[in-house]
Amino acid sequence: MERPILKSVGTPVEELDTPALVVDMEALEANIDAVHSGFTNSSARIRPYVETHRCPAIAHKQLAAGGTVGGVAVASVGEAEMFAQNGISDFLVVNEVVTSSKIARICALARRANVAVAADSAANVQALSDAARAAGVVLSVVVDINTGQERSGVAPGEPALELARAIAGSDGLTFAGLMSLDEDDLGDDMDALMEQSSHRIQQTLDTRQMLENGGLEVGAVCVSAAQPHLAADISGVTEVMNGVYPLLDVRHSTFLPDLKPAAKVLASVTSLPEPGTAILDTGRKAMGDDYGFPIIEGRGELDVASMSAEHGKLLWNDAADIGLSLGDRIWFTPMDIGACINVYDYIQAVRGGTLEAVLAVSARGLYR
Amino acid sequence: MENYRPQIGTDISELDTPCLIIDLDLLDRNFQLIADTYRDTECKMRAHIKNLKSPMLAHMQIRAGGTVGGVCAAKVSEAEAMVDGGIDDILIPNQVVAPDKIARLCTLAKQAKMMVAADNTENLQAISDAASEAGVSIGVVIEVDTQMQRAGIRATEQGVVLAKVADSLPGIEFKGVMSHQTLPGHPDRETRFLEGPRFIQKTLDVKDAIEAEGIPVEVVSAGESWTYDICPTIPGVTEVEGGTYALMSHAYAYMEDFEFAGKILGTVTSNPRAGVAIGDTGSRCLASPSGVLPELYGVEGVGVDSLGANHIVLKSDGDMPLQIGDKFQLISGQQDIMVNRWDQFIGVRNGKVEAVWDITARGCHN
Repeated sequence: MERPILKSVGTPVEELDTPALVVDMEALEANIDAVHSGFTNSSARIRPYVETHRCPAIAHKQLAAGGTVGGVAVASVGEAEMFAQNGISDFLVVNEVVTSSKIARICALARRANVAVAADSAANVQALSDAARAAGVVLSVVVDINTGQERSGVAPGEPALELARAIAGSDGLTFAGLMSLDEDDLGDDMDALMEQSSHRIQQTLDTRQMLENGGLEVGAVCVSAAQPHLAADISGVTEVMNGVYPLLDVRHSTFLPDLKPAAKVLASVTSLPEPGTAILDTGRKAMGDDYGFPIIEGRGELDVASMSAEHGKLLWNDAADIGLSLGDRIWFTPMDIGACINVYDYIQAVRGGTLEAVLAVSARGLYR
Repeated sequence: MENYRPQIGTDISELDTPCLIIDLDLLDRNFQLIADTYRDTECKMRAHIKNLKSPMLAHMQIRAGGTVGGVCAAKVSEAEAMVDGGIDDILIPNQVVAPDKIARLCTLAKQAKMMVAADNTENLQAISDAASEAGVSIGVVIEVDTQMQRAGIRATEQGVVLAKVADSLPGIEFKGVMSHQTLPGHPDRETRFLEGPRFIQKTLDVKDAIEAEGIPVEVVSAGESWTYDICPTIPGVTEVEGGTYALMSHAYAYMEDFEFAGKILGTVTSNPRAGVAIGDTGSRCLASPSGVLPELYGVEGVGVDSLGANHIVLKSDGDMPLQIGDKFQLISGQQDIMVNRWDQFIGVRNGKVEAVWDITARGCHN
C-alpha cells in the first residue's frame, strides 16, 4: 500500500511528502453545501455515488449535509461492504450482481443494511430470488434501464415492464423501482449534455408511467445527472445520483461552474536537466490519468509536456528564468477524480493551508 | 484496500472477479528465458520492480538466475517495500531530492546495498551530506539522457563533471552510469537491433570519457524489456532494467519471446442486446492511460468495444459466445500502471489457484 511520510497535523501543505493527494476541506464542504442545498426542498433527493471518492469520511459529510435519501450508491458489492463497516446503512448497487458468491454477499449485507440492486435479465432475477429465499432475507431490486448509453440495462417501455413484473412476482424480492446510470461520455457541450440528459430521464419517466398504468407501484426512480441540481425538481424523479461534485475535477468542472475543484495532487521537481525543462516525481501511475493528463494550477507559464509511468515533464519558454528549483512543488488538478483517487490510500485533508487530518480511502481497489 | 485470498486449489472458474491472475507456468518461462539469456554473459538482468511491486516475484527472478542479485525500484517507498521483503540490493534509477526522502534512502542503506541515479551536483552534495551524517555509503550512478529527453545529463562532459564530484564526495560511492531507452509503436527485430545500440552507445561514450579521467566505471545500466536480447551483445553494458517482460502487456506483443503471464479475470454481468456482453472490469482496475483499451484473450470473434470506469463492453461478429456468468480474460495495455491498481496477485497453474501474493508496493509513489 501507499507509504508516504504522514506529517503532523498543522504541517504547511507545501511540506507534505509527494506525490500527495490533497483535499481542501473548505472547498469540499462548500461544494457539498452548494449541491445539497438544491435538494432540501425539492421533489427528489440526492444519493451520493461514493464509487467516485471511496472515502467514508466524505460520505458522512454528504449524508450530514441534508437533502439525501439517507444512503449511497455504489458500483461493487465490496464497496457496499466497506461503507457498511463504516456506518452507512442504505445502498443502491448500480450494477448487475450475477455470480452466486456475490449474490450471497448481497444477502448477508441485507441483514444489516437496506440493499437495493440493479437487474436487467429474468435469469438474474430468478437467481436473486432463489438466494434471498434461501438466506431468509428480502432484497430490493430496481430495473436497470438503458436510456442510450448502450451498456447494461433493458430497453425502456415494454421490456422494463416485463422485468418489473417478474421481480414483483418473485419470492424474496421487492420491486423497488427504476434506475438509469449514465457516465463517462460527457463531451464539452453543456447544451447538448442537458438535452441528452433530459431525453434520457424522460425515457425512464415514460417507463414509470407505463408500469403504473400496468398496476405496478414504482417506489424509486433513480437517475444519474452530470448537473445534479437540475434534476432535483423533475416531477417523478425520486433520487439523483452523482459522485463527482464533492471533489470535482477538470473534465466535470465545465458542467458545474459554481463548484471548485477540491482535490489536487502535489508533486515535486526532481530534475532540471536543461533550460526550459523540469522533471517531476509524479507521473501517470500517481495521477490515474485514464481520462487524460491533469492541468497545472497557478503556473500559467508551464505546460504538462508529457507524463510517463513515474515522471511528469514540464516545459516552458527557455528564454525565461522562472525561478524553479529542485524540490519545488507543483499543483495538479486531476482530469478525472474517480480515476485519480483510486490509486491513493490516503487523502491529506488541509484547511487554511495546513494539514488537518489524514482520511482513509477505505474502498480503494474494491472492484469485486 | 482489497484483500482477496481464495482457497488454494480453487478452480479459476470459481474465482470472484475482477481479479488479477498470473499464469505461473508462463511466468516461470519468462523468468527462465532471462536466466538462460544471461547465464554466461557479463550483462545481467536487474528486474524493474515497478512492474511487479511484489518481493515474491523479485525473489523468483533472482532464484531463477541471470540477475545481478537485486532489483530496480522507481521510488524510495517502493525500495522500502522490497527491503521489507528481503531484497538487499536496489538501484533507484531516479533522482531522490526531498530531504526526508534522502533520509529514508540512508536508512535503507543500513540494511541493503543502495544505488541512486543523479544528474545534478546540488543533489549529489545533499545525498553526500545526509549519508555522511547517517554513517552510510550510497552508490551513485549518473543518469544519461540518450533519447527520451527526461531526466539525465544531456552532454558527455556534464557526466564527467558529475562523476568527478561524486568520486570526491564522502558518503557516496561513484558506481557508474545509467540510461533508459524507449521505442514507440511495435518495432520489428531489425529496428530494435538498429536503434537500441545507437541509443545505448551514448551511455557508453559517457563511461569512456569518465574512465579517460582515471575514474573506474563499474556499472553501466541500460535498456529495458525491449533491449533484453540486445544489451548482452554490447560490450560494456553490465545491467538491464527490464520490467514488462515478466507479466507482459499487449503493447509489447512485438517481444514475441515472452508469454502473456498476467491477465485480468472478469465476469459477464449482462447480455443486454444481441452480440453484446457487459463485463465487470473497467478502467479503474485495468488502467487505460490515454484511452488505451485492453485486449480480450483467447475468444475468437469477440473484441473490446469500449471501457467505462467499472464496465467493459464486448462485441462479437455474430453470436456472442460469452453469456451472463461466463469468465473472460483481458491483457492490459500498460502493465505496470495496471498492477498499481491491485492489492493481490492470484497465481494460477493448470487452471487452479496455487498461490496468493500481496502486491506490497502498490501505491508506493513516494
